[in-house]
Amino acid sequence: MSLPEFKLLRPRTVTEAMETLAGHSGNIRVLAGGTDLIPSMRQKLFEPEYVLDLRGVAELAGIYRSESGVIIGALTTLRAIEKSPILREQYPVLTEAAATVASPVLRNMGTIGGNICLDTRCLWYNQSLTWRKGCGFCIKKDGDLCHVAPGGTKCWAAFSGDTPPALLCLGAEIEMVSPAGARRIPLHEFYTGLGDNYRKLKSDEIVARVFLPACSAGYRGVYRKLRVRGSIDYPLAGVAVAIKRSNGHVADARVAITAVNPAPVLVSGATDALNGKAIDESIAEAVGDLAAKTAKPLTTSALTPEYRREMIRVFTKRAVLAAAAN
Amino acid sequence: MNNGFSIIGKPTAMVDAAEKTTGAGKYTDDFSLPGMLIGKILHSPYPHARLKSIDTSRAEKLDGVVAVVVGKDAPKTYGILPVGHDEYPLALDKVRYVGDNVACVVAVSEAIAEKALELIDVDYEVLPAYFDPEESMKAEKDLIHDHKAHNIEKDYHHAFGDPELGFAEADQIAEARFIANEVTHAAMEPHSTLASFEIDPHTGKPGRLIVWSSTQVPYYLQHKLSLVLEMPMQQIRVIKPLVGGGFGGKSEVIPLEIIAAVAARKAKAPVKITYTREEVFWAHRGRPRTIIDLKTGVKADGRITAVKARVVQDGGGYCSYGVVTILYSGALLGALYDIPNIQYDGYRVLTNKPACGAMRGHGTVNVRFAFESQLDELAAKVGMDAAEIRQRNLLKPPCITVNGLRVQSYGLPECIEKTVERSGWKQRKGKLPRGRGLGIACSHYVSGAANSIIRSDMPHSTVNIKIDRDGGVVVYTGASEIGQGSDTMTAQIAAEALGCSLSRVRVIAADTDLTPIDIGSYSSRVTFMAGNATLRAANEVKKLIAAAAAKKMNCAVEELVFRDDRVLKNGGTEKNAGEGGSAAKSQATQSQATQAHAAQSEASVSGRVEGQILRGSLQQKRKDEGPKDALTFEEAVVAAIDFHGALTGTGSYAPPPEARGGKHKGGGVGPSPAYSYSAQVAEVSVDEDTGEVTVHKVWAAHDCGRALNPVSVEGQIIGSVWMGMGQALTEEMVWKDGMLMNPGLLEYRSPSSVESPEIEPIIVESIDPEGPFGAKECSEGSLAATIPAIANAIYDAVGVRLHESPFTPERVLAALRAKKNAKSLNLTEGVDPTQPARFREHGGALWFKNKGPIRHRADQPANSTSIGGAD
Repeated sequence: MSLPEFKLLRPRTVTEAMETLAGHSGNIRVLAGGTDLIPSMRQKLFEPEYVLDLRGVAELAGIYRSESGVIIGALTTLRAIEKSPILREQYPVLTEAAATVASPVLRNMGTIGGNICLDTRCLWYNQSLTWRKGCGFCIKKDGDLCHVAPGGTKCWAAFSGDTPPALLCLGAEIEMVSPAGARRIPLHEFYTGLGDNYRKLKSDEIVARVFLPACSAGYRGVYRKLRVRGSIDYPLAGVAVAIKRSNGHVADARVAITAVNPAPVLVSGATDALNGKAIDESIAEAVGDLAAKTAKPLTTSALTPEYRREMIRVFTKRAVLAAAAN
Repeated sequence: MNNGFSIIGKPTAMVDAAEKTTGAGKYTDDFSLPGMLIGKILHSPYPHARLKSIDTSRAEKLDGVVAVVVGKDAPKTYGILPVGHDEYPLALDKVRYVGDNVACVVAVSEAIAEKALELIDVDYEVLPAYFDPEESMKAEKDLIHDHKAHNIEKDYHHAFGDPELGFAEADQIAEARFIANEVTHAAMEPHSTLASFEIDPHTGKPGRLIVWSSTQVPYYLQHKLSLVLEMPMQQIRVIKPLVGGGFGGKSEVIPLEIIAAVAARKAKAPVKITYTREEVFWAHRGRPRTIIDLKTGVKADGRITAVKARVVQDGGGYCSYGVVTILYSGALLGALYDIPNIQYDGYRVLTNKPACGAMRGHGTVNVRFAFESQLDELAAKVGMDAAEIRQRNLLKPPCITVNGLRVQSYGLPECIEKTVERSGWKQRKGKLPRGRGLGIACSHYVSGAANSIIRSDMPHSTVNIKIDRDGGVVVYTGASEIGQGSDTMTAQIAAEALGCSLSRVRVIAADTDLTPIDIGSYSSRVTFMAGNATLRAANEVKKLIAAAAAKKMNCAVEELVFRDDRVLKNGGTEKNAGEGGSAAKSQATQSQATQAHAAQSEASVSGRVEGQILRGSLQQKRKDEGPKDALTFEEAVVAAIDFHGALTGTGSYAPPPEARGGKHKGGGVGPSPAYSYSAQVAEVSVDEDTGEVTVHKVWAAHDCGRALNPVSVEGQIIGSVWMGMGQALTEEMVWKDGMLMNPGLLEYRSPSSVESPEIEPIIVESIDPEGPFGAKECSEGSLAATIPAIANAIYDAVGVRLHESPFTPERVLAALRAKKNAKSLNLTEGVDPTQPARFREHGGALWFKNKGPIRHRADQPANSTSIGGAD
């Protein structure tokens, strides 16, 4: 499969990147690490005229402390996040999630910004053009039906990033920049919940920074990921848990799941179920049930939907217990 | 262990290791020729359709396109088996699976060729398709191949002994259905072929065809090319560069190999085609999904009285090796244990999926999974240890099994003994903590088929050796190095036989112009057959050298020993036997000192120097020296060339008639001159909440006759266990309506290094009477035992018997739930919600208006009147 022809644009600054992006709006794809974009382009999921390679924009990489918390540049590699002492100490759920992404080689290239913006995935979508032609196209790309939910009008492609559920638990915010300026939103507002139009990113915008608030520093965190292999695989279900404790009780807690919905989602009710409690098996189980209710797995991925829902239940319970214990 | 050998039995680095690890080595796709074009194949989007018309005119007009090749350009059938010539290079009248080959564009670049594919207009008449073998067997019309009634490629019905009587005598009988899902080789190197026509020096027109290809079988490729292109075989030269893994996936002629040649002929230029990973999955030829209904009876003392197996294989759209696969599945019920009565009913069924073929452990693996699982159940029923029941059923070789297989060397008892001992089976089995368990299983495999598929009496392997005055040994073999160590094995055997160092030996392999015929690298035949041919060729040359050396040393030929680059008189034992080598060396050094070569090391004082001395002075020198007690290898070679003229030898191997099996229909498949044996213990743990299985360790004993290169044998054992573990736990080709859902290495999950367990390889040497230095096969026999060993260990850990592989976490959890009578896990939910009667019917019925992005130009609604129709 050849890579479609495109012009590669390599800005050195954010300003330059913004100008280029505005100039080619709608006909351009942004490359951060390239680990997902390039294979997708080979499959002809994207055939842009221009590719904006951000890797030369130094100001978008790095992990910095600020008064309000920690700032992570969108181009920071997952490897750097995995190895960062500040993050490991203050926001362990994020380092744990970053360490499970794909394989070491891919983590050396893949970035946090790319992981946040990761295209939703579906077995009927992440296929070559030849394959999709043979099968019939779907809502997400070139067609107008859904193979996962026949008769439905909604795309169910699953969001399959590992770090966003951890970021959701930490109450992270992201900054997006466009020629018009910067705007900052909580991460959970970034996702639409739709499989096709899955993120609220304007065509002239890029994700520039991730803000981890100081108030979430020190939360104990655990990320559990269902996959068939111990490496390489995207999550088939993922659970992040962050818990703040005081006097043996939960002072604050958040649970988020990934890979079982078109967006990473905070489990509603989990915070209420945990806050003020001393965690035991039955509480953990109840949170597991809440997570399983939030999950809407479909045949977008390997392993059956019912099994994946079950695993959300089991993994959530385990993650809650582990976060309470460690 | 030395065993008196100087090269055999010593861990030896592969002769091609350096070029592979540095990246200097060249695989087919690394080659290019001046004016070379790129070929891209158009594949069928339908699983079963008649080709009504193909219009290539738009594609041909695209700038950069040189030619478009279609079925009519080479309307000749071929197939790897003489009974299975059912493939066209490009479809002529019908396509039989999604991915079948329809046309090939030849262009100046890959991108242009891909663009041109979009411009080929094909008119299909879609036919009902068959995806399930048991459904396919009921077909009355719309047959996949017109001459195959009920879509059955071949069925065999064998009865040996008296199965009914056997079951009547049994005290315990187990009966169950096992399913092993489809797996593929997933070799690292995708298939690639470069085809080019030489200019005929006499006519100036395209003459001989030269093909570089990633193949395990250059000779078969040459033969099929000759058939399809209607050229004499001697006008075709097939060269096999480095191959990045075969595992059976390159053991027959793959469509691109023929298409490239046909395309080169039409385009009048060299053409290279390299498959994408998706195309590799479509080319496939892997292990078929197999449904096994198995019944086994045992006496109270554990003795097996009878086995009855009904095996249905989902063979895909073409015959490929299918007839052989279905026969192996039955034949290899024998030759592992002593089974007095066997009934076998095998069906190879055609379906609208890519053709299955040969894959590591060809034919035996899936049935072995069923058998070893059932034997475990029977052991429990008669209250016997699982290792012991296997020991109760050993063969007593030399013998001929009830189904006509000759067994001579038989290391299975030792394999079982050693795995049991090393794994602490007796102390630990049944005493591990909850969720953790041990399982044992055995397997075996042929060391090459005793009857070749081409039905000819020619030798299966022939090897030539040439030695020149420089003392360099060149071995010409048709055997194909595919990463398994063929070239290294050849060099080792030649060096050992000739008593020279490994660095002297060059192996020229698998080039049909240069090397004599060898039928290829499959069915684990190379060490046994090409190895024997190499040994014979080397011994023939050695005889010539010995005759000359004996004359020179004034002794009898029998007194000579060839070892460590020298030829020694009196067997080299006149001194202390243990230091024979070094004693001889010092002696030689002294004699060379008289020749004023003292400053040089003895190895570099060679025939090269002496060889340039004129004959007269040489004779004078000999006279001065008198008879020696030792000659260097070069001296001996020079003497032999002076004495005999050219120094060449040839050897060939054909399996002995008594190893060729019974006379029953299909009896030709299964017999082998020797069988390898394996016993394995796996230790696993099972997470009872998630169904996830972790393999902690596998002890794998393998009887390879003699380990010519122990490090290579260990590598093969580890590789087999690892590949078996993939089939046991994670690998599965998933199909929906004839679409392969996971045609890539991301979704087709071969194990990664993270979940690879510790594997302890245990080499057992039974020294086969006919193998080269006693060697047998070592690269396939171990695979089959891994799957049931893991299945049995899962049973030991959590008490569930898995009847379907791979044992994915969902299948394990479903079995655990069923056992506990807990809330059941629905494994079919959402898997195939619509059950379409015809391909894509659900898609066609569910188009809806004005939603979604712009329709792709190739995606027109099939039936706009059925909008909104529910299924």
